[in-house]
Amino acid sequence: MIQFKNVVKTYPGGVQALKGINLTIEQGEFVAIIGLSGAGKSTLIRSINQMHQITGGELIVDGQDVSKLSGEALRRFRRNIGMVFQSFNLVKRTTVIKNVLAARVADMPLWKSMLGIYSKSDKILALEALDKVGILEKAYVRADMLSGGQQQRVALARCLAQKPQIILADEPVASLDPLTSQQVMEDFVKVNRDLNITVIANMHHVDIATKYSKRIIGIKAGEIVFDGPSSELTNDHLTEIYGRNLQRDDFMGVE
Amino acid sequence: MKWLKNLIRPEPLVLGNGKIVQPKMSIMVILVPIFIVAILFSAYIIEFDIFILLRRGYQFFVIVGRMIPPDWSYFPEVIGPLVETIMMSIFGTLLGAFLSLPLAFLSSDNIIKNKVFLWTNRMVVSLFRTLPILIFAFILKYIFGIGTFAGTLAIALFTWLIMTKMLYEIIETVDMGPFEAIESSGASRLRAFIVSIVPQILGQYISIALYNFEMNVRSAAILGYVGAGGIGLLLNEKLGWRRYDQVGLILFALLVTVYVIESISRLIRTRLS
Amino acid sequence: MSENILKMYKKRPKDWIVKWGSFLVIALLIAVSVPYVDYNGLTDYGQEIAKSIIFGIIQPDLSLLFDFSKTEAVPYLLLETACIAFLGTLVGSVLALPFAFISSRNIVPKWVATIGTFFITVVRTFPAFVYGLMFIRVTGPGPFTGALTLAVSGIGMTAKLYVETIEDLDKGIIEALDASGCNAIQKIRYGIIPQLMSNFASITIYRFEINVKNASILGLVGAGGIGYPLISAIGAFRWSDAGTLLFGLIVLVLIIEYGSGRLRRKLATGL
Repeated sequence: MIQFKNVVKTYPGGVQALKGINLTIEQGEFVAIIGLSGAGKSTLIRSINQMHQITGGELIVDGQDVSKLSGEALRRFRRNIGMVFQSFNLVKRTTVIKNVLAARVADMPLWKSMLGIYSKSDKILALEALDKVGILEKAYVRADMLSGGQQQRVALARCLAQKPQIILADEPVASLDPLTSQQVMEDFVKVNRDLNITVIANMHHVDIATKYSKRIIGIKAGEIVFDGPSSELTNDHLTEIYGRNLQRDDFMGVE
Repeated sequence: MKWLKNLIRPEPLVLGNGKIVQPKMSIMVILVPIFIVAILFSAYIIEFDIFILLRRGYQFFVIVGRMIPPDWSYFPEVIGPLVETIMMSIFGTLLGAFLSLPLAFLSSDNIIKNKVFLWTNRMVVSLFRTLPILIFAFILKYIFGIGTFAGTLAIALFTWLIMTKMLYEIIETVDMGPFEAIESSGASRLRAFIVSIVPQILGQYISIALYNFEMNVRSAAILGYVGAGGIGLLLNEKLGWRRYDQVGLILFALLVTVYVIESISRLIRTRLS
Repeated sequence: MSENILKMYKKRPKDWIVKWGSFLVIALLIAVSVPYVDYNGLTDYGQEIAKSIIFGIIQPDLSLLFDFSKTEAVPYLLLETACIAFLGTLVGSVLALPFAFISSRNIVPKWVATIGTFFITVVRTFPAFVYGLMFIRVTGPGPFTGALTLAVSGIGMTAKLYVETIEDLDKGIIEALDASGCNAIQKIRYGIIPQLMSNFASITIYRFEINVKNASILGLVGAGGIGYPLISAIGAFRWSDAGTLLFGLIVLVLIIEYGSGRLRRKLATGL
């Protein structure tokens, strides 16, 4: 369970990205966060694994206040949280399997990780993760040989190889075409359903968010302006979230 | 021995759902031993001697140290050979660049359809292109005697060949539409080339000529060593006499020259592209 | 002719300025540089030399070319040249690493990088031959000096190319490792090194290609390899031997260029 209690994030320049967020997300939920760029979506997601340090309030993940964590304790905490990025963030010039195995590095003794010696169980875990996202046969191919959608699946497999409780996805499909986006989103849904992993995703496109996520959080200028089931999200809400009428750019074009 | 066998043929991995994956052998299994053998073998061939290095290696820094400060009073005597070096590079590059256009025309596979002729041209170009400029100069010195002519010709020859290769690679990527249009209007292939392809490659042509000029100034600095003119003669002489302060000045003058030429050349090249 | 056409004709681009300008610049450059080229005609035996050398390249002396037992024959000389280039390149590419990192603007403060870049530029300005002239006075004649020369003279260009790769680093991968709980050393090992490795390898192979050519001329100062036998053959008027040695050198360089091109393409695309 993730609990935001009046969470505030002020950047060094004085910009307030989060203005007292209160939010509870149960284990196994699928949550999409929507809003304009610069509204604080990315800050919200990145505060959960403390990629962005919060400056006020409490953020409790599975009973511990994460804002108090640092050093080794913070790294140990982060191992339970997978993260997927808009730009995939893979090492393009190495093989897929090595990219996935990188997720195991943080759990390995230092000398083993320096030499790159993975245990048999780690290798199997990585292959199983690839199998779950349906690209097992690409395991020994170089990552730059893959299409964008396949690369994002590798990134998702890398997450899974971490055996996370929570997956944070920062605009996971924003740089993919509509068809591939849907396939990748199906994978997220599958992972969420089969493994009971909490998925929290920032979404640029409203239609993708409402199609795949049961719960929508709308955020505007660092404050939550909508939080509810996607079925209850009306056009009025959207106008409020976006501060304007929706435009074509806000949709990806899926039915 | 089990680990060795595992390196060469890793054991298959069985996934939880029963699928079997055969991992590939790491390329490092082959590369690492080859590298170690190659290093040891080379060290043996070149008579690698760590003790000489430890005992004498610091001497290099002593020499460099003695170049500072350079002997500024020597500067007037450097100007002449330095200008000579630059002029050799200018004329050599111009000549080479000028000659490279027709030869590149005769070596482009989208212009010349006769395969035998094409590959003969290319082979001659790459055969001689591989030779270092200093060896050209050394041979030409015997043919034309000591002096700047041999050096200039060496630069021209080298530039000619290397620019021919760079140019035909460019020509082979141009848009052939205009060429075909003009050829179909009854013009000869040469005329069609001049009218339709030369304008397309002109910018790149000047750019690579300038790039070669930069390279040539650097190499021209050493041609004097084999008696082919320029500042290289002085450099060798002063090193022989251990006048390191004067060597320092020569190197400094060269550094400034190369820097200025590169800056100008780079300015023109960025404006061209 | 209608008025409109005349009007357009008057508006035609004034590219004659550029044309005549370029023509003038080139004419000027020729006029200035020609007086420095002193042509004294062929030497007495010039024609004969030219003929013999070309003949020697076209028809190499096979006994010299395929004699694997003597150290004066072509195979050993080429092997020595390649070994000098190989070790020189390897050591040079390692020596270039620290210089590359202290010259990369995304790793160190800007003023440090500026100093590093200045150093690299200075080292890069002088051809390997100049370093050879200096090193021969340090470690004496022999192939070891040749390798040492290449190691030091290669720092400039290698480091410059390394810097371009380092400044291109994708920080996203480091972010991803950070999010999965890796410490600083692990981030370098898995985030930075794998990204740099293939480019660095490619740069090193390219430098090897250049160093083979460099190694072939270092013999002129006595630093081993095929250069010295080559100039002594020419100096002693043994033209066909010279031609044979040149033939060997050409073959070596072509093979290495081909192999280097293949390898670098493989590194770049993984095919």
